[in-house]
Amino acid sequence: MYAVEMENVNVYIGNRHILKNISLKIPYNSVYVIMGPSGSGKTTILRVINRLIDVNRDARVEGTVKVLGFDALKKDPYELRRYIGMVFQTPNPFPHMTIYDNVAIAAKINGVAKNRKDLDAVVRWALEKAMLWDEVKDRLYDYPHQLSGGQKQRLCLARALAMKPKLLLLDEPTANIDPVNARKLEEAIVSLKDEITVIMVTHYPHQAARVADYVTIVYDGRIVEQGPANQIFLRPTTELAQKLLRGEI
Amino acid sequence: MYKWRKLKDRIFFAVILILSIIAITPVIHLIVVTLANGLSVIIRAGPSFFTSIPPAPTSKDVGGIAPSLVGSLMLTALALPITIVIALFSSIMVNEFPRNPLSIAVDVVAKSLASIPTIAVSMVVYLLVVVPMGTFSTLAGVVALTIVSLPYAYTYFSTYLRSIPETYREAAYSIAMSRWKTVTRVFLPIIRRGVLVTVLMTMARILGETAALLFTVGRYRIGVSTSILGPTDALPLLIFDYILTPYRNFQEIAWGAAALLLIAYLIIFIATKLAVRGVKL
Ligand SMILES: Nc1ncnc2c1ncn2[C@@H]1O[C@H](COP(=O)(O)OP(=O)(O)OP(=O)(O)O)[C@@H](O)[C@H]1O
Ligand SMILES: [Mg+2]
Repeated sequence: MYAVEMENVNVYIGNRHILKNISLKIPYNSVYVIMGPSGSGKTTILRVINRLIDVNRDARVEGTVKVLGFDALKKDPYELRRYIGMVFQTPNPFPHMTIYDNVAIAAKINGVAKNRKDLDAVVRWALEKAMLWDEVKDRLYDYPHQLSGGQKQRLCLARALAMKPKLLLLDEPTANIDPVNARKLEEAIVSLKDEITVIMVTHYPHQAARVADYVTIVYDGRIVEQGPANQIFLRPTTELAQKLLRGEI
Repeated sequence: MYKWRKLKDRIFFAVILILSIIAITPVIHLIVVTLANGLSVIIRAGPSFFTSIPPAPTSKDVGGIAPSLVGSLMLTALALPITIVIALFSSIMVNEFPRNPLSIAVDVVAKSLASIPTIAVSMVVYLLVVVPMGTFSTLAGVVALTIVSLPYAYTYFSTYLRSIPETYREAAYSIAMSRWKTVTRVFLPIIRRGVLVTVLMTMARILGETAALLFTVGRYRIGVSTSILGPTDALPLLIFDYILTPYRNFQEIAWGAAALLLIAYLIIFIATKLAVRGVKL
């Protein structure tokens, strides 16, 4: 059984062919890293998994996508998304909600907390997991525009965690974070593995090496190399993968 | 180099200042003249300005504007909520389902309604409501006012909704919010200031609308009417009619009513400026 299984997935936006024959299998409780140059289709893969691709009315998805045992392309997307958290490439905390509410809303919508005490506990747990608690515990009722870019990003991670997802999609979660906090976040991600399957997009080979169980490399909408992390890092077979891992693309 | 830049800065500022003064002078002039003419009438008449009916043409009484004032309040109290609810729902529908044929139709109708002269609306409502009912009425006025202000409120709401970055929809969907919850708990709160401003602007629009009422409400001024199915009056109609008469006391009443309307406008304008703090994105 896999958390995510894609078979011959093709995505078209208008008449552009964005993803080409993508097939991949993501085992439960692993950290699965997607790498590839800008514009290669990494974000699009994540958006197929939680059907956020539907928001784009010009997008068309073909093939089979199984997510947590559901036929993801047939299932009600709003229902499917209950099990899937996502952190976006650019942080998008709700601007009209306080830091506390940004996290609490995800728990409330998904029935994670029954009363105020539960809710406080979930919010704290999520903020701690996201390595943000210490920085915001005295200003939970401030608004997100008062946070730094990296803090906003971690707030979004906390929001995703507060829904207690089974699957977590991270789109370059450390892009705006300093190396120290990035390392902390990596540790947090690895520690989530017991309960959550993590799919992460990153541009940093070193980061991938530290957290990944599996790696897939995407180029121009195709998977050019995939497998267990060790194998990919130690013996990349394609020239593209070698270049990418040396940080040359 | 630095000095020259500073000088340029000063010159630029002076030009802007002079242009702004030129631009707002007529507005200030209008406000001052209306208030000066109108307030003296209101003060002379005292509270009875708001409670009595207009005077006879040649009488020494100043009289009052009660029928038109009550009419205006009733028309606004009815037309505003109806307009806001319809405009808000239709703008949300169009924003959520832009490719739905119904949405496309609503959008086209709203845009074309906006360009129909309001006097034509008044005539159409006269044919469709006043003639069948056999009487002018508050109801006919409400229908005309709603038709006139709908495209206005709709356009405002749509513009605010469209200004919300798509990434907040994605954020909402990603935590499994439904479409409806996304609208009510994310979109509307984000544009709450815009919603309030729209309500106030629409209110101003309804309060000041004249042509739409010409053939619909019936200029009932011999007493105060609170009937929805019977004729009534409105402040702008009263002003329009009385300022054109040769009678001095009628003209005074018109100035008083205009001052009152202007004060209402100023209050609404200030309220829009003070309206709930906007959301910082
Ligand atoms: N809404 C859209 N309309 C048209 N084309 C799109 C749209 N979104 C993405 N694309 C195209 O799909 C391709 C893949 O985009 P995607 O965002 O998945 O890339 P990515 O690998 O995440 O890149 P990056 O590392 O820059 O985030 C790109 O060529 C992009 O131009
Ligand atoms: Mg991307």
